[in-house]
Amino acid sequence: MTATPAQRAVDSAFREEWGRIVAALIGRTGDWDLAEECAQDAFAEALRRWPVDGVPQRPGAWLTTVAGNRAIDRLRRRVRGAELFEQAGRESAQSETDEEAMPELFDETDEIQDDRLRLIFTCCHPALSLEGRVALTLRSLAGLTTAEIARAFLVPEATMAKRLTRTKAKITVAGIPYRVPPAHLLPERTAGVLAVLYLMFNEGYSATSGTELIRAGLCEEAIRLARIMRTLMPDEPEVSGVLALMLLQHSRRDARVARDGALITLEHQDRDRWDRDEIREGLGLVDAALRRRQVGPYQLQAAIAACHAGPDSVEATDWVEIAGLYALLERQMPSPVVRLNRAVAVAMAGDIDAGLAIIDELTGDARLERYYLLDATRADLLRRRGDRAAAAAAYGRALALAPSEVERRYLEGRLEEVST
Amino acid sequence: MKYLLFICADDGLPSPEDLAVLQRECPRWVEEMNGRGVRLLGRELDLPETAVTVRVRNGETLVSDGPFADTKEFIAGFDIIECADLDEALEVAAKHPSSWFQAIEVRPFRDGLELGEKAQRFARGEDPDGTPYCLMFCLDGIPAAPDVEQAIVRDSRAWGKDMDARGLFVFGHPVEHKNAATTIRVRDGETLISDGPFAETHEFIGGVTVLDGVDREQAIELAAAHPLAAHHMVEVRPFYSE
Repeated sequence: MTATPAQRAVDSAFREEWGRIVAALIGRTGDWDLAEECAQDAFAEALRRWPVDGVPQRPGAWLTTVAGNRAIDRLRRRVRGAELFEQAGRESAQSETDEEAMPELFDETDEIQDDRLRLIFTCCHPALSLEGRVALTLRSLAGLTTAEIARAFLVPEATMAKRLTRTKAKITVAGIPYRVPPAHLLPERTAGVLAVLYLMFNEGYSATSGTELIRAGLCEEAIRLARIMRTLMPDEPEVSGVLALMLLQHSRRDARVARDGALITLEHQDRDRWDRDEIREGLGLVDAALRRRQVGPYQLQAAIAACHAGPDSVEATDWVEIAGLYALLERQMPSPVVRLNRAVAVAMAGDIDAGLAIIDELTGDARLERYYLLDATRADLLRRRGDRAAAAAAYGRALALAPSEVERRYLEGRLEEVST
Repeated sequence: MKYLLFICADDGLPSPEDLAVLQRECPRWVEEMNGRGVRLLGRELDLPETAVTVRVRNGETLVSDGPFADTKEFIAGFDIIECADLDEALEVAAKHPSSWFQAIEVRPFRDGLELGEKAQRFARGEDPDGTPYCLMFCLDGIPAAPDVEQAIVRDSRAWGKDMDARGLFVFGHPVEHKNAATTIRVRDGETLISDGPFAETHEFIGGVTVLDGVDREQAIELAAAHPLAAHHMVEVRPFYSE
């Protein structure tokens, strides 16, 4: 079945305009459900009218006007409903204010301002549950349906519908403001939004095969939302950083999984299968962001990813640079996992003993007690040093902690290699 | 919007050092927030071992020792604040020294909280009628049949009017569901905000009422007469007084 030009126009308008329309309607009415319903109505109307009347010159303005009119209709009906019930006191005072709000909603629908930044900051408010933030961002800004989000997070649709309802209710009932946070809250809240987008990306990126492939769409949505964020906050280098990081990781999506679903580590990947366009864009973003000299964790992680993505061969990787970047990252984001990565970089830069020494320091850390990669990394460095017996013992310990079949298969292969 | 700040001791009693900071900083917070016009009132509750929990089942009043939730966390007191939105409420809560060592749950009141003359006197800590008692209504979140719910609402209002007529009612009002709760902790200068109430217990507080001019026995009796005692439970605890 091929789509008609009108259908394609509706599809592309949907991706471009959904978030904008929902954001504007919430701004005007304060009603999240109403905003979603009216945006949906507008696109349904476009599907009916555009094949007959032709695609309007400014599809966005057309859709916004239709959605705005629909909102007014619905609000009027509510007011009339309230009057019919002749509710006394507060309720009737409420309906007067609704009536007053209407002309404004109508007048301005044509030249509507971009409210999407208010929308994303509200969706990602820290007083909402993390899973609620991710789901609501995908629903209201990206326009995914409840069923699509449910599939992506492997939960029943009813569960996801409940999660969305609860998250929206909390915004209203708890009094979460619909706004871009004031300056003193902005850095922390921006970091919060980026964390939600990166989490969304990783949900998709960790999906490797078969039934999980549906989740891979989350990567594209996260990248799209990060692009929107970057348009809205062009002067915030961490926003560019997270976009660059996602693009550089995403560029390797086809090369990182073998036909049988096994993971292929970076050094063994076929670099011809990397997405050159995404790498070029990612590298450009990293450079531009770093020039602003407000280095943050996402920029550093993107810079590290750039060190891997840039060279044509694994041998050309600049491990000294990577070790230095990890040291900077560790200062901004002290975590045992970052330190473990620094140990690898130090070892790969030529000093295996120094790398192993860092790993030894980490061994007592309770946070890494059940983390199989600690022993897996130790094993790998011991193997590179030629210490086969010690490597085998460490692979064995890692194997006992490995969380999934994919990782166990990889470790078993290595264990066999050092045991023969 | 009006919010109830539950001061939650989530790690048992504070250490002597923490206590010294609390005693020094709490009055400063009160002064600042009163000055800003944000804080309407607040009082410290007596220790949890002074609490009893009241249920009425098959017409029989059951009284058990201790707070409603059998957890190591307990409510040490509360403040009522009026703010533009949740962000302001969280900012106010983060400045409260209790959030530096313990946790503060921020819960919106339902519309219509009124604080009359008796509430003002209570806020100033004047207790001409003796130690005031706090009744905390604890719900299990399972809705009853619609007609039962309606009866509870109707009888609750009648109960409040009766308390008022007898001169015992300081103030009282329902708060929003626990789904609207946010808990805040400040650790090492970092504000940690989480969705939900301070303790993930099955039961949660659905409203508070303060009575005065009653002794412990009367407070228990009046709590048992509240319609929620028959369906849910009511924690009764005196406020702290010197």
